[in-house]
Amino acid sequence: MKRVLPGFGLSLGFTLAYLSLLILLPLSGLIFKASALTLDQFWAVATGERAMAAYRVTFGASLLAALINAFFGLVVAWILVRYPFPGKRLVDSLVDLPFALPTSVAGITLATLYAGNGWIGRHLEPLGLKVAFTPLGIVVALTFISLPFVVRTLQPVIEDIEPEVEEAAATLGASRWQTFVRVLLPGIFPALLTGFTLAFSRAVGEYGSVIFIAGNMPLISEITPLLIISKLEQYDVVGATALACVMLAISFAMLLAVNGLQWWAANRHHGKERVSI
Amino acid sequence: MSATIVRKAAAEPRWLRLTLTAVGLGFLFFFLALPLVAVFSEAFAGGWGAYREALSHPEALSAIGLTVFIAVVVLPFNVAFGVAAAWAIAKFDFRGKSLLITLIDLPFAVSPVVVGLVFLLIFGAQGVFGPWLSDHDIKIVFALPGMIIVTLFITFPFVARELIPLMQAQGKDEEEAAVSLGASGWQMFFRVTLPNIKWGLLYGVILANARAMGEFGAVSVVSGHIRGETNTLPLHVEIVYNEYNAIGAFAAASVLALLALVTLVAKTVVEWKMRQETEMLDTAMPPEKTE
Amino acid sequence: MSIEINGVGKRFGNFVALDNINLHIPTGELVALLGPSGCGKTTLLRIIAGMETADPGHVSFAGEEATHLHARDRNVGFVFQHYALFRHMSVFENVAFGLRVKARHERPSEAEIRRRVLDLLKLVQLDWLADRYPSQLSGGQRQRIALARALAVEPKVLLLDEPFGALDTKVRKELRRWLRRLHDEMHISSVFVTHDQEEALEVADRVVVMNHGRIEQIGTPDEVYSSPASPFVYQFLGNVNVFHSRLHGAWAEVGRDPSEAPAHDRSQAMAFVRPHDIDIEHAPIAGSIEATVQDVHAIGPLVRVELAHASELVEVELTRERANVLRLARGQAVWLKPRQIKVFNVLGVPLEEGGSGI
Repeated sequence: MKRVLPGFGLSLGFTLAYLSLLILLPLSGLIFKASALTLDQFWAVATGERAMAAYRVTFGASLLAALINAFFGLVVAWILVRYPFPGKRLVDSLVDLPFALPTSVAGITLATLYAGNGWIGRHLEPLGLKVAFTPLGIVVALTFISLPFVVRTLQPVIEDIEPEVEEAAATLGASRWQTFVRVLLPGIFPALLTGFTLAFSRAVGEYGSVIFIAGNMPLISEITPLLIISKLEQYDVVGATALACVMLAISFAMLLAVNGLQWWAANRHHGKERVSI
Repeated sequence: MSATIVRKAAAEPRWLRLTLTAVGLGFLFFFLALPLVAVFSEAFAGGWGAYREALSHPEALSAIGLTVFIAVVVLPFNVAFGVAAAWAIAKFDFRGKSLLITLIDLPFAVSPVVVGLVFLLIFGAQGVFGPWLSDHDIKIVFALPGMIIVTLFITFPFVARELIPLMQAQGKDEEEAAVSLGASGWQMFFRVTLPNIKWGLLYGVILANARAMGEFGAVSVVSGHIRGETNTLPLHVEIVYNEYNAIGAFAAASVLALLALVTLVAKTVVEWKMRQETEMLDTAMPPEKTE
Repeated sequence: MSIEINGVGKRFGNFVALDNINLHIPTGELVALLGPSGCGKTTLLRIIAGMETADPGHVSFAGEEATHLHARDRNVGFVFQHYALFRHMSVFENVAFGLRVKARHERPSEAEIRRRVLDLLKLVQLDWLADRYPSQLSGGQRQRIALARALAVEPKVLLLDEPFGALDTKVRKELRRWLRRLHDEMHISSVFVTHDQEEALEVADRVVVMNHGRIEQIGTPDEVYSSPASPFVYQFLGNVNVFHSRLHGAWAEVGRDPSEAPAHDRSQAMAFVRPHDIDIEHAPIAGSIEATVQDVHAIGPLVRVELAHASELVEVELTRERANVLRLARGQAVWLKPRQIKVFNVLGVPLEEGGSGI
């Protein structure tokens, strides 16, 4: 095939070389290092008591944070697209703050806000709600850092809803709630799920913002990335590597899940064969 | 005119609209606005003098310098990669393209701590190249080169991800026209492609810069935390905070928060520019009427 | 069910979309709202459907006040230009939607829903597509499904907003005949919006011509075409020649030097003549005006002749037979004689009407 445009070999070659050198080779180095362990050794490290507790904390808090963001993210995306209110442009820009704010800044700020004498913690503590330095604090930090994902994946999808579809449902006698559940939600669900998965995936790997607010008590409020660090600090490179492999496998799985979701959203309801009449 | 039509049949009742707006804005207030205000409020808790003193501390200044230095070194590499990847992916067809796009996203999915560990395993004392490096007296981890490498890894996808969909949408007609008119490859790139993608490129650079300057986890693992030497500003925040120097920590944090605000403003402006440009092109070339 | 519209108005900011609309649509009639884009026809349809509220004015169905009734309680079927099908539902589920969202005590049984949906799909001749999704259908099929969906709730009124506007010419022609048959079978009142005069004249029992938020004329297709009530209707429906005339024995005055006109008759007027209502003669006869042939095009069964009369361009349509007899050539001087003419004064008020040159 004759290509009209120049630079295919150069650009693709550079891309592949850069990708391999910077990303793929180093990551396979991790797997290579882990392969020095026998399967039993690996299993013992990866499923040790402290590791299992760390998984529980990491995934539990991430799941909760992603759920919180799925609900509030839907509300925020909805009001940003549909309702007029003063300062809307400002609010819309502010949604990306967690992407722009370094995680250590988020960490110390949330820890200060939710501490017993902080602006928010001061009002929660009398209610018996301790947030900072407990697993609840982890949920707060993870909710903050993964906040934009659901909003940003939903916004364009909500913008694309034809209002006529909602009006059609209304003239057919559907209540607003029926229209939402039966007509709108199925349409935006793939995007909601994608945003949820992205938020969850980001939360699972998060480190910087959590360590300041978590309290970091082994078995109680210690997340997996922190456990990797503490193993490193104790010169347990093998243990750290095993845990990192588990994390990496989960990252791959999440990446595949997001790709699968996007493929599903684009292709569902197009049937097996296209007919043109 | 249809834009002003209030779709009565497709609208929620007023009480529900107000409730949803209150819930959404309330959530954003507690999770976004309040932390942002708190950063500055804590930074200035000791007054302007204490703030200035915290920031003019030599360690703070060297941390700022190092942060800027790393970003300046890293960004050109990832711009070059982003443009090359987007060019290959958007303008040509080849097998394994969707796999390549997925792999470009990989650094977003990997935990920063794992990233740091990966490079520690390669270049560290017990790593693959560790003995060779120490024989030749080259320091990569617990030194600047390691911090630059992990930052490259972390910010790797930003520019490419902005440019790929943009260049795919633009198609290749203009470039083909340029080539058919006798332009060389680089002439075509600088005169046709680059002007078309400049805002998208800038957008990617803004996001990559924010991440490069703000990265904590990965850099923390490979930095070695050597004061005044391998401390970036986000790491400086941690160290000072752990010394119970709240004003010092929040003063450094306020610089990063300011950077975040500048990023948001720049991002909004570029988004606005991009929208304006597409609208201008749309009105300049109205679609042909089908009637 | 009859529809009564009294004094309805609507503004969007400074833009007057509708201005004091009064319209009665008797039961069983198929009415077309015809006009250029921005004339308010769609807004009027949306007000009837309850998707928009009238600023002043009232809408009632079968004599019952419905102005403030929500769209879902009006029992109207609405068909959108771009179909507005639910894309994540199969064709069957789309049609069944209106039945499934009914309150439990009104909702038919599953078997009954199935029967009714399949009946409707048979009615629109698409029962073989029940399991497909909207994205797998052609435009014409989608619009028929949208119609079946609207009919599933047994509406008393069917409202269609440019229902064939997004379809190509051939499908459009087929579907509008089909709509006419369907309307006659269903015994409902239907209102459809269109900017296509041919569509309105072919399908509707009555045509409501609208412009700038006002009704210009209501009448049968024949009435609005052959006796337009205003210059706008004349120009909007079919081709027409406009002569800026001094008002004095309409046709005879066309093109005459204004200074010759009597002083008491200075009011400007316009004369309208359809191209097929003009005869061409080789010799001057009473009441004819002179013109020069500019161009002759044979278009299918017709021959279209462009002529220059003073500075004005006149278009005449002849049958092929007549054109063969006349043997017109470019530059030839001929005489024009109208069979049918209508004159309006500047305010659009009709003045005189007549056959051959008055």
